[in-house]
Order: sequence, then C-alpha cells, then structure tokens
Amino acid sequence: MEPIIQIKDVHKHFGRVHALRGVSLDVYKGEVVVVVGPSGSGKSTLLRCINRLEEYDAGKIIVDGIPLDSTENINAVRREVGIVFQSFNLFAHLIVTENICLAQRVVRKRTRAECRKIALDLLTKVGIPDKAMNYPAQLSGGQQQRVAIARALAMNPKIMLFDEPTSALDPEMIKEVLDVMLTLASEGMTMVVVSHEMGFARAAAKRVIFMDDGQIIEEGTPEKLFTSPSHERTKLFLSKVLH
Amino acid sequence: MELRPKPTPTEEELANIPGTEPSARIDAWWWLVVLVVGVAVLLLVAKPDPFWNILLFVRDGLVVTVFVTITAFIFTLILGMFGGLGRLSGNRIVYGISSLYVELLRGIPLLVQLIWWYFAFPVVVQQTGRSLNIPALANYQANAIFIAVVGLVVCYGAYMSEIYRAGIQSVPKGQVEAARSLGLSYAQTMRYVVFPQAFRVILPPVGNEFIALLKDSSLVSVVAVADLTRRGREFMATHFNPIEVWTMVALLYLVMTLFSARMVSWMEKKTRFEK
Repeated sequence: MEPIIQIKDVHKHFGRVHALRGVSLDVYKGEVVVVVGPSGSGKSTLLRCINRLEEYDAGKIIVDGIPLDSTENINAVRREVGIVFQSFNLFAHLIVTENICLAQRVVRKRTRAECRKIALDLLTKVGIPDKAMNYPAQLSGGQQQRVAIARALAMNPKIMLFDEPTSALDPEMIKEVLDVMLTLASEGMTMVVVSHEMGFARAAAKRVIFMDDGQIIEEGTPEKLFTSPSHERTKLFLSKVLH
Repeated sequence: MELRPKPTPTEEELANIPGTEPSARIDAWWWLVVLVVGVAVLLLVAKPDPFWNILLFVRDGLVVTVFVTITAFIFTLILGMFGGLGRLSGNRIVYGISSLYVELLRGIPLLVQLIWWYFAFPVVVQQTGRSLNIPALANYQANAIFIAVVGLVVCYGAYMSEIYRAGIQSVPKGQVEAARSLGLSYAQTMRYVVFPQAFRVILPPVGNEFIALLKDSSLVSVVAVADLTRRGREFMATHFNPIEVWTMVALLYLVMTLFSARMVSWMEKKTRFEK
C-alpha cells in the first residue's frame, strides 16, 4: 500500500538556521504518528510543511498522491488536510457556527442549511453544542480548541495535523481536548500529532518519532521508544519530559 | 497596533457611572451638533440680511464641497486598498512602487500638489501631445473639479494606504494561516477573514481621514473650483462683510464635520464585536 503522506529528504532554512536537515517520513492511511522532540528541533516546521504553510527548500512531499508543487496542488492538498494550531486561531469576528461554516460554504460550496447541520453535529461530537452562538472570546481555551477541531473536521479531511494542540491550555482543559483526539484516532483518522502528551501517545500512537536538530533521530512504538530508547539524545530528552 | 482603538469600558461599567449611561453618551455629542445648527438658524432668522443672503449665495458652493469630498473619498478608499496591499506585497517591484508613492506624496504639501495638478499637469500633457503630434492631448484643457478630485485622491490615497496597511497587519498571522489551511484562496482569505477584522480597526482613522478631507477640500478654492470657501470669498469681495461671511462659512463646515464625526462614532458602535 502506498503511504498517504510521503516526505522525502526535505530541507528547510530560516535565514542561516538549517531547521530541517533531510527529513524523510512515510505515514500510512489510518496511522496515528506522534512527533516529539526538544523545542527548536523542527517538529512543528515539519508538520507545517505537510500542508505547505511553510515552504521547504529541497526535497519532496506527496500527500494522497498529490505532490506539493503548484498553487492548484497546494490548494487541493489543503482541502484534504485539516490542521489544529497551538493558539486555536479561531476567526475572532465570527460566532462558533460561522467559524465552522465559512470554509464549507466558500470552498466546499455547501448550502447554509447543510453547513449549519454539519456544524451542529460536530459541536455535539466535541461536546459543546450549547456554544454554537458564542464568539470565540467567550469560550475557554479548551472549548476554543474543540471548536477548532470541529472546524477542521467539517471539511471531511483525510488527514488531521495537530501542532501542539494542548500546549496553550490550562491543565484541567487538556483532557477534554485529548478525549476528542482519542475518539478521532479510534475512528481510524490518519493523524500526525506534535505533542508531548505521553499519555496520548501511549494510548493512540502507532509510532512515535523523535526529532532533534532538524533530523529524525529514531522512531518506534510508544512502548519501545519511551522505555528503551536506543539513542543517547532520546534518553536525555525523555529523562526531562517523563516523570 | 498603534491604530487599535483604546479599550473602552464595558456597558456594565459605564452604566454605573452617572452621566455615561448609553442614552446620556449618545445625547451629549449630538447636543453639540444641535447647538451649532441652532446658532446658525438663530443668525439666519434674527439677521436674514446678510446671513440668509450669504447662505443663498454659497449654497451651490456647498454642493460642490460635498460632491468633491464624497467623490474623492470613494476613490481614496479604492486607491488606499491597492496601496496598502502593495505595501504588504512579497513582490519587490509592487512593494517598491507603492512605498515610493506613499513616501513621496506624504512629503509634499497638499496645496502644492493641487497647484501642480492644476497649473503644471495640463502643460505637461499639452507638450507631450505636441511632441507626439496627438491633437487631442495638445489641446487638453483642465477641468477644475476633475483636477481637484485627482489631486485630493492622489494625496489622501497615500495616507489611506498606510491606514490599510496597519489595519491588515493588526490581524494576527494565525488568522490567515487558519483560513489558508482550510483551502481558502488569498483573495477569499482577505475578503472573509482579514478585511472584516481590519475594517473595525481602521474605521476610526478612516473616519478621521474623511473629516480631514472635508476640511482640506477648502484648498481646492485656489484652483478655480467654486466650492464653499471660494463662494464665501466671492461674496465678501462684493459686500465687504468679513465677520458675517466667514462666521457663516465656518458654521457650515462645522455642521458637516460634527455630523460626520457622529456618524463615524455610530458606525463604530454598530460594528463592535467581542475580542
């Protein structure tokens, strides 16, 4: 079977910083891959390259058979790939329902009634149907992040990317977001997750990738990587994160 | 960021301060408009000669002032949008041209610009027409109102570009990323996500620009446009009553500017949203 995401020898520079140094990674349909690593290791950059929010300098990325090379292809990939950000990025001027409906209407050309129904179904799924008419600023961080997940899901993506989805949340709100992500994983969604939530990785991830200094250092099942990592750098990192 | 309006107290906070409950706030400034209109009406009724005569004489100038201001403002909004987007463009040529435009035009007094457009520009066109043997250009005659509007638009477009730029920049980058990642194109992202949010930020400075434009439109009186100011001067030249004429003209400008300021403030309230 062909991988749904193929990343081949990708390089990326930020000015003089070599942020990605030849990263290659395949993700198969239905897989949940968790990427961990110290800050500045390039994990978020790698994730953002998958839907081309970040341009890369060399290498190749193919998503669902479409290479990220032309504007049309990039837009085609973006329609099939949802992303959830650390800082939620809900549209501040729109109520929750409109946040979920905007892209459905403009990009998917669905009718207002269809959009509303899908929005309400998804809000029920993430557990906050009663917030449909609120503005983002009236919601807690956890609620905003769940709306952001619903907004991405409304486009029926084949792949979901999560860029540190719980890092900006208060501890008591992390669980409500992770629960939604666990449900998604159990439904067979292909997910690439940049996160340090080891509990989530253990429960849902098929593979954990450890990145450092713009490279993939090692990968394996959560069990293997967390309990018996083979590289010194992985051990050092885990000793700081696991407690 | 510098253009973001100051945080206003919430409705609840204001309701507890005497004199600032919603009804009082609206009335206080509208009363000033009423007061100025009242003074004008009082003068007209109490001393129809000369005040009523002045008003009759300058009323076509009043129409010209309003026409020039509104026309120039509409085109300023359009030019400013392109200028603002150009100042944010990743394309170096587009960025260079729009930046040059903004920096140069902001550095020349409006009065000098208007005089240049009226006296120098037609000569440039005529000489070009003669050297290229195009009779239509060689016989070009400037239309004063057209020239005045062009001069105002080109000058105010530069200021408006900066307001648009600041407004667009005030929308966090994450908003654009979220929209693009959902599959919206650049134009769709601007239309549905960036402009609606930038609009609320730029409304107060854009309103200020409108009022400034209304006042600066009096400068077109030096380039043969028969606006309110020029008509006032014509009346004075025949009747020699500067106090009455210029008091009347000042009151008419004041009624228009105060009323515009109220409209801007009303629109701000209408478009406010939770942040």
